[in-house]
Amino acid sequence: MRKKSNLQFAKALYEVTKDLPKSHLPEAIKQFVLILQKNNKLKKIDYIIEEFEAYAKKQDRAKIIEIETARKLDQTALNKIKKIFGEKSEITELVNKELLGGARITVNDMIYDASLKTQLKSLRQQLIS
Amino acid sequence: MSTNNIVEELKKNIAHFQKETEKEEAGKVVEVGDGIARISGLSKCQAGEMLEFSGDVFGLALNLEEETVGCVLLGDYEHIKEGDTVKRTNKILSVPVGEELIGRVVNSLGMAIDGGKDIKTTKFYPIEKIAPGVMTREPVTQPVQTGIKAIDAMIPIGRGQRELIIGDRQTGKTAVAIDTIINQKGKDMICVYVAIGQKESKIARIVAKLKETGAMDYTIVVVAGASSPAALSYIAPYSGVAMAEYFMDQGKDVLCVYDDLSKQAWAYREISLLLRRPPGREAYPGDVFYLHSRLLERACRRNKESGGGSITALPIIETQASDVTAYIPTNVISITDGQIFLETDLFYRGIRPALNVGISVSRVGGAAQIKPMKKVAGKLKLAMAQFREMEAFAQFASDLDPETKKQIERGQRITELLKQPQYQPVSVENQVVSIFATNNGYFDNVAVKDISTAEKKLNDFMNKSKRSLLDKIAAGEWDEKIEKELKSACEEFNK
Repeated sequence: MRKKSNLQFAKALYEVTKDLPKSHLPEAIKQFVLILQKNNKLKKIDYIIEEFEAYAKKQDRAKIIEIETARKLDQTALNKIKKIFGEKSEITELVNKELLGGARITVNDMIYDASLKTQLKSLRQQLIS
Repeated sequence: MSTNNIVEELKKNIAHFQKETEKEEAGKVVEVGDGIARISGLSKCQAGEMLEFSGDVFGLALNLEEETVGCVLLGDYEHIKEGDTVKRTNKILSVPVGEELIGRVVNSLGMAIDGGKDIKTTKFYPIEKIAPGVMTREPVTQPVQTGIKAIDAMIPIGRGQRELIIGDRQTGKTAVAIDTIINQKGKDMICVYVAIGQKESKIARIVAKLKETGAMDYTIVVVAGASSPAALSYIAPYSGVAMAEYFMDQGKDVLCVYDDLSKQAWAYREISLLLRRPPGREAYPGDVFYLHSRLLERACRRNKESGGGSITALPIIETQASDVTAYIPTNVISITDGQIFLETDLFYRGIRPALNVGISVSRVGGAAQIKPMKKVAGKLKLAMAQFREMEAFAQFASDLDPETKKQIERGQRITELLKQPQYQPVSVENQVVSIFATNNGYFDNVAVKDISTAEKKLNDFMNKSKRSLLDKIAAGEWDEKIEKELKSACEEFNK
């Protein structure tokens, strides 16, 4: 039989724990770990957790948003961004001086790049061509 | 232009600059291996799309799976690590095409590697394209003169044909192809020589020879050397034919040499195994037939309504210990319109080009031969076939009847006539004259070993004093009058 992928384990865990009352959770996790052990997947646990998080968020229609800015953002700007991409999203903020200005926002797989650095780069492209 | 003007110009340009938010799709590297990478995310990725890795390295998406995208890396991959961001480019892999490429040596991506200045073209063609359909094609009617007597007479190649050159290592496969390229001078042909997995020293030698003979003026050399990654060897022939297609679209005739496709199949096997595609016979993946058929189908002769132009393909296959029943040779033999067999035995017997005329064929080229050649070559083929049957008796020469003896002697003379040194193509009219003279017994008094000297003398004589007759033959004219003139010229020479 074909090896089961990390995503399949993550999916299974999600399906099992989705509607489970809190009291049953420890038991479910224990069983899950035993299954992982049986399949020799314990060393992949980090990846499975990663997949689980991604899958759970996808099911809840939440977005993973990463905001990279040159300086730290104030709260009003942050709220604005939240409003655009949905309230449920999980937002991480990063400060990256290399961007010079503007912001780069990663939503799931899409990157919206409005940083000064990229714009300067494309300006350069336009000027030399 | 003064400094102020430049500043003004710059200011104007900057004022017109539109700032835009760039929207890109990105994935993450989950696995990197020998020349391949697996990427998660990129759910909208297309097959054959270019992917941009960090450090200006590009990849070609080949495997689109449920969770990951498998791609081959077209460049250095040492610095790529797990977790790196990979961006989509929304572009199918394409190569620059145009007149600027002529006379250049480029790699599979169309970048100059001959030390010259960068190639700037305005046009790009995708490397993978569906071959022209039935309605746009027409039969082969015009010849490609290879300048090699044995081939032009007995295994003629037409413009738009696909003729396989097959043989063991060191039998002169490349020599046949290079001679053909050299002979295209002034024949309104553009040549593309694709070197796949060849030693760089050999490529350097070939390029030097092409330059020396002036053949680089109409030739593009596409190189994926032995040291370049398998991915580049795999795409090299497709890049070459894409460059050729540009010229075909201009209504020109193009000759494409793929040297050699067995190495390309090896590269593709390597990539497929790394990408975990199931192996089949000889560990090649299931679509290795399609790998070559889709390439060679792009060779064609297009009709006037579709713009004309043609691509002639000369693929080369190297066999191991003369085994033509291996997987790749049988595949390519069945795809092409004929094959030129080169044999080690003949090569060491001094018959060069080491052509086995018995099993070499050209399925469509006959229609493309010029009339005089067709007339004289018919007799030549017959004489050779008879000679092959009698050859075994040659050593009992004294006991044979005069008829058989005559056939054997004629055969030996023809074999001698068809020998030809490398890099010395012969024009078609001179070929006709030599073959005509041998067929009609004008060389019967010459010793077998002196045939080539006699042939040279005859050609010198004809070139000097019978130029108008040769021009008529070159133009494809042939009737009893010309035949008579040729006969009298030969007699005149023999005096």
